[in-house]
Parts: sequence; structure tokens; C-alpha cells
Amino acid sequence: MEKPPPLGYGLGLRPIYYEEILSSRPPIDWFEIISENYMLAGGRPLAMLDRIRADYPVVMHGVSMSLASTDPLNFDYLRQLKALAERIQPAWVSDHVAWTGVHGVTLHDLLPIPYTRESLAHIVERIQRVQDFLKRRLVVENASTYVSFVDSEMSEHEFVREMAERADCLLLLDVNNVFVSSFNHGFDPVAFIDGVPADRVVQFHMAGHTNNETHRVDTHDQPVCDEVWALYEHARRRCGDVSAMIERDDNYPPLAELLDELQNMRDIDARISKERALSAA
Amino acid sequence: MKLADFQSLFQQRVLAGSGEADKPLLKKLRPSPRGAAPETLLDVYQTGYRIRLADFVSQDHPGLRAILGDEAFDALVDDYIDQCPSRDPNARWFTTGLPDFMRENARWRDDAAAVSMALFERAMVDAFDTADETPLTVQALAGFAPDDWARLAFEFDPSLTLLELVAGTIEAYGAAISEETPANVDKPAAGEHIEYAAVWRVDDESAYRQLEPDEYVALSEARAGHAFGDICQMAAFQQAGEIAPERLAQSLSSWFEDGMIIGVRVREDDDQASNTPSSA
Repeated sequence: MEKPPPLGYGLGLRPIYYEEILSSRPPIDWFEIISENYMLAGGRPLAMLDRIRADYPVVMHGVSMSLASTDPLNFDYLRQLKALAERIQPAWVSDHVAWTGVHGVTLHDLLPIPYTRESLAHIVERIQRVQDFLKRRLVVENASTYVSFVDSEMSEHEFVREMAERADCLLLLDVNNVFVSSFNHGFDPVAFIDGVPADRVVQFHMAGHTNNETHRVDTHDQPVCDEVWALYEHARRRCGDVSAMIERDDNYPPLAELLDELQNMRDIDARISKERALSAA
Repeated sequence: MKLADFQSLFQQRVLAGSGEADKPLLKKLRPSPRGAAPETLLDVYQTGYRIRLADFVSQDHPGLRAILGDEAFDALVDDYIDQCPSRDPNARWFTTGLPDFMRENARWRDDAAAVSMALFERAMVDAFDTADETPLTVQALAGFAPDDWARLAFEFDPSLTLLELVAGTIEAYGAAISEETPANVDKPAAGEHIEYAAVWRVDDESAYRQLEPDEYVALSEARAGHAFGDICQMAAFQQAGEIAPERLAQSLSSWFEDGMIIGVRVREDDDQASNTPSSA
């Protein structure tokens, strides 16, 4: 499997950190943008992105492709996405195993699907069409879900694996999403990570979530919790050198706290490398 | 159930919010291994939907919230979410229809001050991300012969919006976004009094300035493509007050200083003027 080279340790680019990033050049290897926030005619967001892109690799992460929707693909949206990709030359473009609306309405959320053969065939065909249109391999992320369906015919990781192989797409493994969904639906998160094709994983997402005791919600407003760090270590051992990053979308801390989380990733990875070197010696 | 039918049902229940009608969808859910009620889990999507869209409106309309108060503002947002579901994949555009919704909706259309604020704030949001252009300085005029000055026409930054507002809108907005915001921002009294504003973008930030009536007329005419000399002549007949050529030259200079002008040309006799200003 041919994959883009790993980028190191990255951060979700958010406006609150623009000035500090540009003035202090913190030790961040790359940035991920929310594509829609820059699909604009002009202004400050694009100006900031151009400045940051001049110095850092960038990947584009969308939330509105609605790959699993039964509405027609939105080619106006895809044309804008493609134009942005041509402008900033991202290392890759990603979106989710999700739908955002039907009948022309968008709910601005990543909505769940039953994992059926019909859903699988549907999303595979749409990923292939998007890849043909964008002329690049798409990276697709597992979403957090809060409900699961009696109609499902396979597990989520079986669905993701089959989807990736049939569509010949790459994967963004959101480690926090694996944990949140595993908690909510009672599956083994380690089995999920072991079940997805590691050779197609090009990126890890790490984030915090909200613990509501009977269910957990993917809020990106807290530090990464210990259970998710443990799962990250497992994912890293299984998938090897994959670009990893922290997502933070609310309750923004000082940038230094996010840099500490990136350092935590580096420390875990250094420990794994050291262990491997020792066992190989 | 086919995927399309499932998605129609799921969306319908998210749009409507939790209630008795959720039952057919709840039957499709697997039980939670943690003992969470299925209604609770479905409500993560139902409540999240409304919170998310309401947040988009709150971010774009701090002035509207300030003059309406939280209760009336939340009622307006509820009405808007119910009646105008988002149809653009980019959340940026969800709020753009709010002023039009207010003008067309019986519950809100008579609140002229609120509609005025909504229009002003939409212009501020729109100015923020319109296409980039490079503003000219007043030095651009040096390249034209004095004989051509009367026929000079100007091209304005695409972010520029001219507004006719309920008097007090601009002051109320300034108070609402001030870091020293008082507990209550007085709602402008809707009546005969109006004020004029220019909204545009400068140095990557939305900007606004109140205009005197004569400058508003002159800027409207200039933006419509009329030549400098024609505006001088037309201005002499404006009921808003005469604009002396010196006063017009002063305004022109400020439009350059403000970064509003992106092009200057000598207007030929058969050129067509265009564009009209927006009003509350």
C-alpha cells in the first residue's frame, strides 16, 4: 500500500492560536484545517492559512462531504473543496464515515448509519466517485456514535475495513472516537484497532471527550484521558509511523497545554521505538 | 429498512426534537450496554443539533442578542431553526438568511430595530470573508489629467455594504461588542429617525463607519458607477443637503484612506452605472 510519508506530530489549526503560531513558531510539525472554514472567497482565514502553509505541511479535514448520505453527492461543495486543495496543496484530504443530512437539508453533524451491506456498497461507490473527482485518494475517518442499530449486519471495524479495501481509500483512525463508540456500544476498542487494515492508516486523531457516566460524547473540549492514551499506544504499536495530532474545538487552553499533549505522544513513541530496538538487538 | 428511509426518519426526528413520535426510530436502536435510555442517546443528536445552530447565530449576532435580551433572542433563534433548516454544507452560511426571515415573519417583521441590527450584523459577517482586493491610495489620482477628473468613476471593495438603519443601531452594536459591555444595551427606538452606515473590510477585519446623509448619497452614487462630476451635479439637488465639491472631495479622500476604493477609471459617456444600496 502506497501511503504519503508521515508528517510527525500535528495540531488542529484554530483561529484562537493563529497569532501565537505565527509569532512563536512552536514545535508543531504540521497542521490540520477544517476544510469548510477556509472554503471562502477571501479574508483573514485564508490569509492566515496561506502564511502558515508557507512554513508547515497542512492536511485538509472536512465535515460536510456526507459520504454515507443517500442524497446525491454535492458537486458544488466538491468543486470548492478541490479549489482549496489546489490552493494549499495538502498532504491529503479527509472526511468521515457519516452522513450530514438528506433532502437538501444539512444538520451540521456527523450522523450514524446502520452497518449493513447496503450502506457499505453505497459509501464505497461514493468514495470512489469522490476520489475520481478530486483525483486523489481520500482519507476516511471513523466517527463517534451514540446510537447503534438492530439492522446492522456487521461490526463497525468490519465495515471500515471492507469499505477501505473495496474503495481503495486510506484511513484516519480517530483513537478517541474508537474509545467513545466502544464505551457507548460495548465493543472492545483494541479489537477495533486490530481489525482495521493498518497499512491504510495514515493519520491518528487524539482528543478529549465528555463522560456522562452512561455514555460519552465526543466534545473535543478536554485533555486526552488516560484510557485514550493507552489506546493510542496500542494503535501506535500496531500501525507504526503514522502522522498523529491533537484536536481541540472548545474550552481552549493555552497553546502550551496542547504542546504538552504532543510531547506525550512523542514520549510514548520514543518508548516504543526504544523497546523495539532493544528486542531487535 | 432501506438506508434512504432510515435517513429520512432519523433526520425527521432530529429536526423535530424529542417526543412521542420518536418511537419508530427508538425501536431501531440497540439497547445501551451501560443502561442509558435510548431516548437519552437519541437526544444527543437532537439537542446537539439545536445547540450547534443556535451557537452559529449567537456568534454572528451579538448585537441582536443584546437588544432583544436572551429570552426573545432565543425565541427568535428557535423560530429560525424550525422554519429555515440549513441547506448549505458550509455552516458559515446558516445565519445569512436571518434578516430576511425576520422581515418576512409576522412575529418579527414589525420589530424594525431588531431587523436593522440583523442587517448590520450580516453585513459585518459578509465583509469578513468576501474576495480579496487591493485598495488604492489617493495617489492613484495622480495619474489622471485634471481635465479627466469630472469623468472619474470608482470601483469599490466587494466587501462594502451601504445600509440605511434605524437610528441607534450602530451605537447599540458598539456597546454590545465592547469589552466593557453594560448589563443591558438599550434597544434603539424605531421611528422616523434613520442613520446610515458603511460596512467593509480593512486589514483583514470587518469595519464600519456611520455616514452623514450627504456622504451616504455620494457614496451610493459613486458605488453605482457615477462619475465624480455627475455626483457633484446630482448632489446639488439632493434633499439630504447640498454637497459642495469641496465636501465631496473630502469624502473621496476618506474613501481612499479607509481602503474602500480598488479601482479608478475615466468613465466614457456610454458606460452604465449600476448597484443600489441596501436598507433596513
